[in-house]
Order: sequence, then structure tokens, then C-alpha cells
Amino acid sequence: MKEATTSKIAWGWLALAAVFLVYPLVFQSAFFRDIGVLLLLAAISASAWNIVGGYAGQVSVGHGMFFGVGAYVPLMVFTHLGWPPLLGVPIAIVVVLVLSVIVGMPTFRLQGHYFSMATLAVAELIRLLVGTWDFAGAAIGLSGPAIPRGWWDLTFTSELPYYYIFLGVLATLLLVTWQVQRSRFGYYMRAVKAGERAAKSLGVPVRRTKLFALMLSAAFTSIAGSLYAIKTGFVDPESGFGILVSVQMLIIAALGGAGTLIGPLIGAIILIPLQTATNTWFGGGGSGLTYILYGGIIVLLARFEPGGLVELWNTYAPRRWRSGSHAP
Amino acid sequence: MLLEAKNVAKHFGEFRAVADANLTVAEGDVIGLIGPNGAGKSTFFNCLAGDTEPTAGTILFDGQDVTNASTETHARLGIGRTFQVPATFEDMTILENVMVGAFMRHPGRADARAHAEKIIEMTGLREHAHLRARSLGTPGRKRLEIARVLATGPRLMLLDEALAGLTPGELQQAITLVRRIHETGVTLVIVEHIMEVIMTLTARVLVFNQGHVIASGKPQDVVKDPLVIEAYLGHGHGKRARKRGPAA
Ligand SMILES: Nc1ncnc2c1ncn2[C@@H]1O[C@H](COP(=O)(O)OP(=O)(O)OP(=O)(O)O)[C@@H](O)[C@H]1O
Ligand SMILES: [Mg+2]
Repeated sequence: MKEATTSKIAWGWLALAAVFLVYPLVFQSAFFRDIGVLLLLAAISASAWNIVGGYAGQVSVGHGMFFGVGAYVPLMVFTHLGWPPLLGVPIAIVVVLVLSVIVGMPTFRLQGHYFSMATLAVAELIRLLVGTWDFAGAAIGLSGPAIPRGWWDLTFTSELPYYYIFLGVLATLLLVTWQVQRSRFGYYMRAVKAGERAAKSLGVPVRRTKLFALMLSAAFTSIAGSLYAIKTGFVDPESGFGILVSVQMLIIAALGGAGTLIGPLIGAIILIPLQTATNTWFGGGGSGLTYILYGGIIVLLARFEPGGLVELWNTYAPRRWRSGSHAP
Repeated sequence: MLLEAKNVAKHFGEFRAVADANLTVAEGDVIGLIGPNGAGKSTFFNCLAGDTEPTAGTILFDGQDVTNASTETHARLGIGRTFQVPATFEDMTILENVMVGAFMRHPGRADARAHAEKIIEMTGLREHAHLRARSLGTPGRKRLEIARVLATGPRLMLLDEALAGLTPGELQQAITLVRRIHETGVTLVIVEHIMEVIMTLTARVLVFNQGHVIASGKPQDVVKDPLVIEAYLGHGHGKRARKRGPAA
């Protein structure tokens, strides 16, 4: 029974991987490939958020701060030092690790919503500061190399290379998350989410667990930001540190199912095409519309299924298709 | 002495939930803690388990001062406790709940799982192992609390009404389980309102009333103590569900 479920899940993942691998070969128009790239990027960000927000239950509303650093640093090293943006990626990771310690250390002492509020405030503060900081291009933002000096600049005219790079990063992140989920650290994160007091009484180092979760999550969020900046070749305060960046990760993970491996991916598969469609049909950047869409999803989740679609599936799908308690 | 609590007090503002309580526990003891609702038993447990810092007093465990040590340190040193209101991890399975406890002394996943499975077998939770904790009723969750703490490999276990609310049949099973835990070398302090449990399991009881230890000795003698009878009669004798303290 248990083995049967496990192998069914494995087959499901393989099928999903196959679909993602052939997608851009089947849909060759720039429009569909672009959606694919956007979807992968959103899935990476939401999966990264999911580590601390989903598994450890520490809801960050300011993950844009890590995404933004990841986006800015590669373009900074290009603009000011002429380095390939790629070299900025590890530097950004170091910066976000320091940043997550600064945000996490004081707030993880306390229970409740202090962490959420602190992340929101810090992300906004950074957005405002970067908007006035000339070295970071102030309100205008920064650009990457317009003409590639070599493959290492990762500047391609086709969407295809980006698609497969993003897919590789997403696969790596999901593998890491899967390993973490099975390890002691993974169990400790879930215990912290379920009840700090009981977790402590069983010897779980609650504060350290939250901090490590945040650091791991921040590192991958930073990578997502770097991918975005390298692909787009441009970043400004809004696209790097904006509130929509933070909220999108949260919404996607929650929609699919926070604290599950596949949840953020499902959330991205649903939200990104939906968001693209509403923006296309109703014209413009549609940022006001995006707020309405996000608000609607939050209301629906809160009203009907806080566990997201994965939980909905586990509750209502025919018994033999269900994955038991282990989220797929 | 395995545990020595000296003049422990816990005040909430002006209110003295625990005042000047003393307790010594030798390795291998089974000690009962009784007293009317709101007497301060759970609060005293919280002090012993490092869940709350006592306002005054010292607590030594195996000779080491743990008065102000963290909850995790208490757990690692070998003080385990259950909660009066079960605090099981609701969205995790029974096996996963027990594994969280097992991980403390078995960092590897396979080891932790094997150890947790042994504990699950011993506590009779086998058939529910892959169900979520939230699907259990109160008796099951109390049992899971015991299993989870047991998995941390404690030297001392503090059971806070872990046997309350069971049917007579379940109660007998639970008493057998506690006996078996004791036989494996675990020292026990048990808070319980059910006198049957106290009489059959413990060799020594302490009676709490309004934060004070008002009597101690053999269970048969203590129940005849006029002070104890007075405490119970004066505090809602026969209607112990009347008032439930918020501390669990
Ligand atoms: N955090 C707190 N803040 C204020 N008062 C508290 C707190 N915790 C407990 N108390 C009070 O301390 C007193 C002792 O409570 P405690 O839970 O320790 O009693 P108990 O002996 O365990 O009772 P019961 O048999 O009902 O479980 C009660 O009057 C309770 O209301
Ligand atoms: Mg109590």
C-alpha cells in the first residue's frame, strides 16, 4: 500500500518532468515560451518562499528583499566592474544570508506575527532606499549587457536557453527541498510550525530551526532574483523589491499548498497563465488587476481551503488516488 | 538524587501559583502529585520542565543546576513531559510525531524511524501509525504524547494527567504502559486526579493546595490526612471539572 503510493508519486513527478521538458518544443511561439519562462521563475520563487513560509510556518511578507538583492547585485557588478552578471550571483547569496540573520535573529525570539511584520517593513525600507541610491541606479534601475561579450554573459535572443536553465534550477531546488523534507531539519521545521512549545519540549532548537529555514529560503530566492535580472537584463526598485514580488510568492505557494513539495509548482501553473490572460485581455500592465486577482485568491483560500489545492485534493479525490498524509 | 527542586515559587503578578514547593526524586521513583484544580501542579511541572522560569528557588537535575536552562536543554538532559491539553502535531502522522522526538538522539532518518517504530509498537499505536494526529481522539492523543516523549529517551518523565478521560478498559491498558515504561528504567512523576492510578502506580505522593505542598507520604496514609480531606472538600469535592486552570 505504502510502496504503491510512493511509486505512483514518483511516476507523477516523472510525467510532470517530461511535460516541462517538451513544452517549449511543442509550443514554439515566443508568447507561449515566454509564459513558460515566467511560470518556471514564479515556481522557483514560490518554492524558495515555501521552505520558511510553508514548511516552517514563518510567513514572510517581504521575500522581495531577497529577490531584489539577487536581482540587483549581478547587474551592479556588471555596471560598475564590467564583470559578467553571473559572478554577482554568489555575492548576492552572501548578502541575503547576512540580511536573513539580521531580520531573523531578533524576530524569531518572539512568537506570532512579529516576523511577518518585520519582513514587510524591511522589504519596503530597502525598496525606498534603493530608489534613492545612485549607485543602484536610483529610481531608474540598472541594466545588464545589451550585446553579449560571450556565452558567460547569458544574454540570449531566444527564450529557449533561459527556459532550460530555469527548469534546471527548479529541479535542483525541488530535489534539495525533498531531501530537506525527509531529514531531521525538515521534521523540525514542521514541528515548529505545528507547535513551538511542544517542539521545544522534544528538544527541537526552535530558533535555530527557523533561522536556518529562512537562510536556505533566502538563498534560493536570491537565485530566483538573479535569474530574473539576467534574463530581463534590467531591474528597478519595483520589479526587484516591490510588494507584488513578495506577495506573488506567498499567493502561489498558498494556492497550490504551502508546506508541500508540489504546491508552489501547482500554484504557478494556475496563477501565471491566469495572470497573463487577465493582463492581455484587459490590457496594460494590469497591476491594479493583479491586486484584485491576488485579493480574490486570498479570500477564496481563507474561506474554503487554507491548505490550498493539494489539501483539497487529499480531501476530495477518490481514496485510491490520494497520497495519504505525505504531500505529493 | 535525580531531581531536587528547592523552594520553587512561580508568581503571576500578585498571584502565587506555586509557593515554596520542594520535591526530591530518586532514580527509579514513581511519585504522584495530587491536589484540587488550580492547586499549581501544572505550573510546577512547567518549572521542572524548563517551560517557564521559576520566580524563586533552584532546580537540580542529576546534580546540575537547570533552574534557568532552556526547554531544549531540559529535553536533552533527559527531562521529558506531556501536556495536560495534548499538544500533538496535528498535521503530521503518528509516526512523524514520534520521529520528531526520536530525532533528538537519532539524527539519521533511518535510525530515527526505526526507533520511533519500536516506540509505536510498545505504546500500541501501530495500527494508526500512518494517520494524522488530528484524526485521533483525546485518549489516542494522550497516548501519542507519551510515545513522543518516550522517543526522546528521557531519564525522568513528567506526566500531566496523561491518563485522564479514558474508559476503564483504556485506563488499565494505560496503567500497564506506564508500568512498562517504568520497568525500562524511566523515573516518573505523575499528576493525576484518578486515585486508582495514584494508588496502583505510585509509592509516594505529594499533595498540592494553593501552591503549597500540604502533605506527602504513602498514598494510603495521605488520603486519610485531615488537611488533605479539608483541601479537597473545601475546593469543590466531587466536582473537579468545575474549574480548569489555563496552564496546560
Ligand atoms: N500563565 C498564567 N497566568 C496567570 N495565571 C496562571 C497562569 N498559569 C496558571 N495560572 C493560574 O495558576 C493556578 C494554578 O494553575 P495550574 O494549572 O498549575 O493548576 P493545576 O493544579 O494544574 O490545576 P488542574 O488540576 O485544573 O490542572 C490557577 O489558578 C491558574 O489560573
Ligand atoms: Mg493541571
